[in-house]
Amino acid sequence: MNNTIPNEIERFDLSARIQHVIMFTTFLLLSFTGWGLKYAYQDPASAWIRFWGGAKSAGIIHRVAGITMLLDFIYHQFYLLNQVRKGGMRPTLVPMPKDVIDAFHNFMYFFGLRKEKPYFGKFNYMQKFDYWAVYWGMFIIGASGFFLAFPVTVSPIFPAWSIQWIWDVIIAMHSDEALLAIVFIMIFHFYNEHLRSEVFPMNWMWLTGKMTIDQLKHHHPAEYDYLYGDKKKKK
Amino acid sequence: MRVINVEITTGVKGERMRIWLNAVVLLFLTLVLIPTAGAAPDAATCLGCHGSMEGEINVNQERYAKSVHGSFDCVMCHMTLKGDQHKGLSGKADKKIQELAAAISSKSKIDPIAQAACIQCHPDVYEAYKASVHGQNVIVKKSSDGPVCTSCHGTPHYIQPKTSKESLVNHFNVVATCGTCHEEKFMSEKYGLTPHVMERYKESFHGRKLKLGHSGAPSCVNCHGSHDIKDVRDPSSPVYGANKINTCGKCHAGATEKFVAAITHQPLHPIAHFTELALIILTVGVFAFICIHVLLDIIADIRDRLFRKGGGHE
Repeated sequence: MNNTIPNEIERFDLSARIQHVIMFTTFLLLSFTGWGLKYAYQDPASAWIRFWGGAKSAGIIHRVAGITMLLDFIYHQFYLLNQVRKGGMRPTLVPMPKDVIDAFHNFMYFFGLRKEKPYFGKFNYMQKFDYWAVYWGMFIIGASGFFLAFPVTVSPIFPAWSIQWIWDVIIAMHSDEALLAIVFIMIFHFYNEHLRSEVFPMNWMWLTGKMTIDQLKHHHPAEYDYLYGDKKKKK
Repeated sequence: MRVINVEITTGVKGERMRIWLNAVVLLFLTLVLIPTAGAAPDAATCLGCHGSMEGEINVNQERYAKSVHGSFDCVMCHMTLKGDQHKGLSGKADKKIQELAAAISSKSKIDPIAQAACIQCHPDVYEAYKASVHGQNVIVKKSSDGPVCTSCHGTPHYIQPKTSKESLVNHFNVVATCGTCHEEKFMSEKYGLTPHVMERYKESFHGRKLKLGHSGAPSCVNCHGSHDIKDVRDPSSPVYGANKINTCGKCHAGATEKFVAAITHQPLHPIAHFTELALIILTVGVFAFICIHVLLDIIADIRDRLFRKGGGHE
């Protein structure tokens, strides 16, 4: 490590940035094409699906994007393993009791009951929420989507007594949780990473992977202190 | 059979003019036809009157000409016309047609013979229909609510080819056509059919894809059959028991007994219903939480910028 505090710090390496691009590209394609199917009986759906080349073409786009996203997700697990193997990976994304306290403190800050923002670590509770939401989505939407894409292949794994309802459960899981994912991204992620006055029109970190030290110090003070706390004292 | 009169009512002046025109045309046709009385008149002769008559006996000449049967003479189906005005036009229908006409006479107020006449050119379809649950209901049980040809294919004068978007039995229209009867509640009660069958189909992937114009998505008839449709409880039905394996297998290669059990059009199972409810509650809960969070964040941001100079920002 350098002896001086750098001007900026890399938070996402190239691989992580590429994973993110694949993730959001496939997410958008899946949302666009899936939306037409979910609201097939609403008026604009047919015209919207025609824009994607008709129902057959939209279906192919949806499947290809879905499989690409699942592969991206699987790749991410190997990426994590590799980070661990290389050493130096701290469990900065693991939800901790401190996140609950941080959230509570943040709400107190919102209401003016605290003067300072919470003492956030490398990733605050909102970012952890954002990150783990993808896992939830992958297990619920990804798995159900896989079942729906290959119904003949997967049907033998379901016990006979579940046949009467399992497919309806899978469809509900896929469709309702996809809606949840879209709503979550459209509101939470878009506000935090695009619309927030500090980052508008977008947080460029998705391209550069870098965050300035000032931003780190301000938004992630615990991480700043962890990295440079000693040096500060020395100076 | 009800014929919808789509004619636009013209003004009194136009009306009078039309009557005159008709009179002239009639007179002319009468003169022309006198020497050949007894020979079959062509459609134009009939349409001279019926093209401008009001109500169920009206036939729109333009639409008739464009229909698949547009080149037919009226008397090819209307074989046994009655009344003085049709003198010399009455022939005799063959026995088969007479029998069918008798069976469907309650459904056909105007001309049951014409209604039954389809079978003289479409005998194969008739045999299939006769053996079907619809045909049995109409011909054998003489029920008032079974469909005849025109119930599904539409008013006989304007039948379009199946490939036409206007055809009631077009791939993308046939679900609505079946629905005219099968969406009715009494149908499931009277015949012991699955309630909400149409609704369940429409919300399924098959129904949605069809709605979005997927030509490979199955409509009702792709699985249940059309003219030869059988009761689901009839072992010869393509959707009876193990027959489903073949039927589903037409699209889903390798379909198994377990796989085909998935589609029943049965009402949503309680487990599925409550799972969906739980997922909706989760979605609404998360939605409420993130909305509140974002709003509070915005308000705090504005507050900081206004009242705490540089306050949350360096």
